[in-house]
Amino acid sequence: MTLLEVENVSIGYNTKKGYVKAVEGVSFSLEEGGSLGFVGESGCGKTTIGMALMGLLPPNGSVSEGRILFDGEDTLKMSDEEIRKIRWREMAMIFQAAMNALNPVQRVGNQIAEAILVHDPSIGKEEAMGQVEALFDLVGIPRDRLRDYPHQYSGGMKQRAIIAMALACHPKLIIADEPTTALDVIVQDQILGEIKDLQKEFNLSIIFISHDISIVADMCKDIGVMYAGQLVEFGPREEVFESPAHPYTKALLSSFPTVTGKKSDLIPIPGETPNLVIPPAGCRFCDRCSGPGPSCKTETPEWVETGPGHKTLCCRC
Amino acid sequence: MAFKQNNNMTTRERYPLLNSFLEGWSIFKQNLLGKIGLTLLIIFALMALCSYIPPWISPMYNPMTGVDPEITSCSAPCLRHWLGTDFMGRDILSQLLAGARIAFMVGISAAVMSIVLGVSIGMTAGYMGKFIDTLLMRLADMIMVMPTLLVVLLLAAVFGQLNIWTIVLIIALFRWPGVSRIIRGQTLSLKQRPFIEAAKVAGASHFRIIFMHIMPNVLPLAFLFMTFRVTSAIITEAALAFLGFGDPGTVSWGMMLQWVWKTGNMFQAPYWLLPPGICISLITLSFYMLGRAMDEVLDPRLRKEDQTD
Amino acid sequence: MDKRDESVLEIRDVTKIYKTKGAFFGSSGKDVTALNLISFDIFKGEIFGLVGESGSGKTTVGRLIVGLENVSSGKIFLEGREIIGLRGRARKEFRREVQMIFQDPYQSLNPQRSIYDTVSEPLKIHGMGNASTRKDLARETLHAVGLSPPDDFLFRYPHRLSGGQRQRVAIARAMILNPEFVIADEPTSMLDASISAQIFNILLEMRSRLGVTQMFITHSLAAARYLCDRVAVIYRGNLVELGPAEEVIRNPKHPYTQALLDAVPKFGHDRDARRYGSLLTKARDAEEDVGCVFFPRCAAADEDRCGRKHPNLSPFGDGHLVACFRLEAMHEA
Repeated sequence: MTLLEVENVSIGYNTKKGYVKAVEGVSFSLEEGGSLGFVGESGCGKTTIGMALMGLLPPNGSVSEGRILFDGEDTLKMSDEEIRKIRWREMAMIFQAAMNALNPVQRVGNQIAEAILVHDPSIGKEEAMGQVEALFDLVGIPRDRLRDYPHQYSGGMKQRAIIAMALACHPKLIIADEPTTALDVIVQDQILGEIKDLQKEFNLSIIFISHDISIVADMCKDIGVMYAGQLVEFGPREEVFESPAHPYTKALLSSFPTVTGKKSDLIPIPGETPNLVIPPAGCRFCDRCSGPGPSCKTETPEWVETGPGHKTLCCRC
Repeated sequence: MAFKQNNNMTTRERYPLLNSFLEGWSIFKQNLLGKIGLTLLIIFALMALCSYIPPWISPMYNPMTGVDPEITSCSAPCLRHWLGTDFMGRDILSQLLAGARIAFMVGISAAVMSIVLGVSIGMTAGYMGKFIDTLLMRLADMIMVMPTLLVVLLLAAVFGQLNIWTIVLIIALFRWPGVSRIIRGQTLSLKQRPFIEAAKVAGASHFRIIFMHIMPNVLPLAFLFMTFRVTSAIITEAALAFLGFGDPGTVSWGMMLQWVWKTGNMFQAPYWLLPPGICISLITLSFYMLGRAMDEVLDPRLRKEDQTD
Repeated sequence: MDKRDESVLEIRDVTKIYKTKGAFFGSSGKDVTALNLISFDIFKGEIFGLVGESGSGKTTVGRLIVGLENVSSGKIFLEGREIIGLRGRARKEFRREVQMIFQDPYQSLNPQRSIYDTVSEPLKIHGMGNASTRKDLARETLHAVGLSPPDDFLFRYPHRLSGGQRQRVAIARAMILNPEFVIADEPTSMLDASISAQIFNILLEMRSRLGVTQMFITHSLAAARYLCDRVAVIYRGNLVELGPAEEVIRNPKHPYTQALLDAVPKFGHDRDARRYGSLLTKARDAEEDVGCVFFPRCAAADEDRCGRKHPNLSPFGDGHLVACFRLEAMHEA
């Protein structure tokens, strides 16, 4: 059954330079136990979506239109109190640069216990610590590290502690925003494997946000490609990865060097991302597209089905 | 080549200093605080310049020695003396104008001296590190803990009344440690930055690195500090004068306050008490506002036009 | 094949030890060996890759070559001349020939100086040209790295440029003196993939059009494969494998290199059917600084040799060197 339904959501930020339309008209849905990955480069809006889902947009950001239905209820219409109840208990987030999400002057075990107690004050401190120990076992941190401070943890361990914190209240949905970006490749591989195992064990739904399309393809069943605030391609990972339809997806795939397969030329994408205060009319990728059509610059592109469950926002296709 | 080879540089390109100044000015113009501060300072500067006028008009307006044949005591404002006269019959307005001159002199000289000292010592300590750093900072510590006023009083007791320039020098000598600590801290953090390393890799000498790379990044802070130094120098001088240790040969606002107080006219002669007090406060405020605006000019990253969320 | 006369850089037995101070004056803290007897050559006109994870010492190698830090022992030769301990004029000459591109484009440009100031500074330092010729050269160099039209960029300040543009400025600054040898220290780790690709192509062009020899320091084997002719893999201060890039990546011989390749996210691979499986799930308890540096994590290691002695880089095929006892045994057999 559908756990999350996002309908035509647009999000913007009030900045000194004007109103930045960070996300425009994004729609997608996520089944229980499903996994969805958002991939895109900096400024594409993927982190903004994650924050909006959790109700954690900064003060100058707001959802200007659309609905976010979590378990059937519109979170945008909820009061702060109601959102706080959902946050962490039903949906949790593993933040980008999670290294800094741990309080440096508090012992790690206590921090996680505190998170548990905040959401369920009825259980005592002892029981909370017991749950923390169980969580540590789950994520692979030795129990004797409970009383350490964050600076005594390695990067990988800190990330595992953050994952433990996210799982503390047994949420249904986890939003992971670049959880392994700052880690070395071997540790990253271990953490990603652990996330996959946890997902299977608890039937978690996951939204995985990353700039690296191979990680997203490895972790998630469905992929959404974002560019300049819009969702430009969406579909099952096999489809998107192997037969990309949108010119941006194709360009993105060919700008990553690989270790397997034939060594091909990296084709960079010329130009820069468009200004989101005054976004261009028509297709936002038009200026950088390798083969724009006659109407791409003026007409708003529409969704085109290119395969089973696979659609792309492109005039040409 | 797709670009023009233009060997005719514009005037602005030829004189980079002029270019920076004009650029800085256009940024400064947009800052309200800066404009207010600058306006006030211009008014005070005019006051200082005008201080030469009254004695020129008539010797009775001389702030120190002016004697009005008809008035020999403290009196209220009238047509002849716009702000009234002090206890000796001297014109208060001309004293106020002379005080402005002294304030600028003292404030700016003391501030400049202490900043130059503080920045050089701070940068040297931060960049050189180790022994030199320890030596200089211990020296700074020793000076910082010494109570300025007390030392000046002692010196005054020993040497008698102090000359105004001696006072300026002493203020500068006591105030540089604070500046140097902050500048040293900045230098330490800058030293590690990749752009300094890049300059080293390009072959820059220590001298070049300190003056072309570290100093410009440290200058905004120094300028900000300078405005505080000016205010503190003016206030210190005023305090000294008020306590009776100023230069008796000069008329400063602090001196005026001392005379009001000593002659027991504090509540009787508001026209005498208020002007110097207000002037001290306003000039302090205006330098502060100037400092805030300079902050924006000197640090390209703070400029409002370029800030994104 | 003796390529000595073709090598631009020779590093011989370079060791770097950091002494950490103890808590009290006089008492010594622990010594950290950041680099242990590193030796390799870089040949003229090649792009040499140094691949390692954080803490491997790869950045330290670059810093030692460029002179930002001093070696604890060992020698470094640039075109046959020893460069350690150079002073005065010789040192300045050296600075003209070896340059570096730093990792963080947001920190490697002085925020208080315009692009023109930054790019032309090396010229000023070495007393080359006058104001007008320097400006022309700056324009040319900016154009060569893709910042066109250059006049648009000359008098801007760094905070007005994007990360990719800043990195191009950093490359322009490094290239303006026409150096022999450029070290690129993770130049793209803070940039998006599509921008990184642009930077890679600039580096390739530097090699193909100007013949600049380069050392590319990175944590990404994929980037090294794309860019480099030969690659060296470094683990905790020790070189474990060295050889032609394509060869090392297709047929990695050292267990650590194999583990790195296993860990690269590849869509479609079955997690359990690892190609190499050279990593232990849980590290062994081992004495520090004794035996092979990879021993605690190596699945195929044997206690007797690997746990006790330190393997050296030995040739194992055409230009392919590996520091591993297991392979030596296989080779001998």
